[in-house]
Amino acid sequence: MAGSKTYDPYEAWKNLMINWEKQANDVIHFWTNSRDYIKWSQGATDLQLRYLEMFQRNQQLLLTQLQLPTKKDLANVAKLSIQTEEKLDALEEQLWNVEDAIESTNKQVGSLTEVSREAVKVIKQLKTEQKRDKKELETIDEIHFELLEIKRELAEMNSLKEEIASLKAQLAGSKQDKEKELAALTK
Amino acid sequence: MATKTSNQTVLPAFNYEKELERWTAFANAIMGPELGANHTPRKQVWAKNKATLWHYAPAEKKYDIPVFMIYSLFNRPSILDFAPGSSVMEGLVNNGYDVYLLDWGIAGYEDKDMTIEDYIADYIPKAVKRALRHSRTEEVSVIGYCLGGTFAAMYAAIAEEPIRNLIVATVPIDFSVSVLPDKWEQELKESGYNADRLIEVFGVIPPAYVEAMFRSVTAPIYNSPYVTLLTRANDERFVEKWKRMNKWNSGHVPLTGGAFRQMTTDFFKENKLVKGEFTIHGQKVDLGKITANLLVVSSKNDTLIPEGQSLPLMELVSSEDKTYLSVEAGHVSLAMTGKLNGILEDWLGEHSK
Repeated sequence: MAGSKTYDPYEAWKNLMINWEKQANDVIHFWTNSRDYIKWSQGATDLQLRYLEMFQRNQQLLLTQLQLPTKKDLANVAKLSIQTEEKLDALEEQLWNVEDAIESTNKQVGSLTEVSREAVKVIKQLKTEQKRDKKELETIDEIHFELLEIKRELAEMNSLKEEIASLKAQLAGSKQDKEKELAALTK
Repeated sequence: MATKTSNQTVLPAFNYEKELERWTAFANAIMGPELGANHTPRKQVWAKNKATLWHYAPAEKKYDIPVFMIYSLFNRPSILDFAPGSSVMEGLVNNGYDVYLLDWGIAGYEDKDMTIEDYIADYIPKAVKRALRHSRTEEVSVIGYCLGGTFAAMYAAIAEEPIRNLIVATVPIDFSVSVLPDKWEQELKESGYNADRLIEVFGVIPPAYVEAMFRSVTAPIYNSPYVTLLTRANDERFVEKWKRMNKWNSGHVPLTGGAFRQMTTDFFKENKLVKGEFTIHGQKVDLGKITANLLVVSSKNDTLIPEGQSLPLMELVSSEDKTYLSVEAGHVSLAMTGKLNGILEDWLGEHSK
């Protein structure tokens, strides 16, 4: 139905109650906002507290006579457990420091291990190089020996050459002698 | 059968079945089983006394700097993980942050002497150290909501741990601005109001008193949620949301006597934080020492923490990068509706690179 709205009695009641509540609260604040009310309120509180104090005193007396712990006794025990908790907390925090120290030591040890691992690697490399050098040295020794051999052989060849030269000279001398003998014979 | 009135308003006929459904849903919402809270997966990292440090692992890690959250002492932090789809925790986790939440737990009688100083000095730095160690990072972003924001700011002023970003939402800093009726305020600040006797009798202030304290300031009569529930009881999604909100709303926690004394005397009465007179175990809290990137978020419709309580922080800090945002939201709806998520996604994303 265009233009018409449904009446909700609950909604109307709600609006009425909310307005009433607001006005009632305003009235209460207005009435209680006075020195007289405050004095009366303090008097009522004092009276209530006086009765409660009396009750507490009597209860404590009774509990003491019955050898039973009072609320204060139980509170004292609870306070001891709170103190223990605080000590445990302090210990935990100290353990944090130890934990942190161990962690940093572990880190240092880790870096030292890393360094020593590097050193081992370098030593291994050096050893390999040393082996290689040794082999090279052996090769050089062999070459040196061979050179000496060649030198010796060359020296031997030189002496052979000299012998051949002297034989050659002897042969030339004997040839001349023979020619002289032949010339003498032919004459 | 509907009846049409002369001014075009249709009066619906009485629907018996619909009304039965409405009243059944209303009764179930109030008396039925409660819905579970804290749906985002989390793991406990550390615990001390009643406090627990929770870790919410990111869906897919995008940022190295983790987020450390501090909530108020008055209520449970489950409002930060309200419901799937409207959870601050879920939003941060989905955006790729490691999130840590310091949950104060529920104080017992043995904690009656614990002061605000103890909460800040004995719990927050230890929890932040653990968060840093757990996430293996050097810096952290601290987020504080409501009174948790005040704690975060005070911690940031004395912290030895490196804080990159400080985000405070609906944070009370300047207690000279008050939402109390003027005569109450006058009585609290000028007369010799002393909470010592109350603290001595109770030790820890009972949750009912904490709730009454807030109700008396905001709305002493508070029936409107039930009226709204009955009006919309046929809407399943609304009923679910209402149940979650109601559970959180009625989940006030006891407040230690020591903290209550400091709050009334050092904050409300003497406004020591703004004056630079508040000390934590002898160390002066100078908000000027805060140098972290700062984001302050206020809600325009906040009836508990008006903007005037948060705004002075902007002038007190030494941060070079500081932003103030005033959002159209209420004290709780800022977190609950996902508005804070959008703000965090933009600002924190830029400042966590």
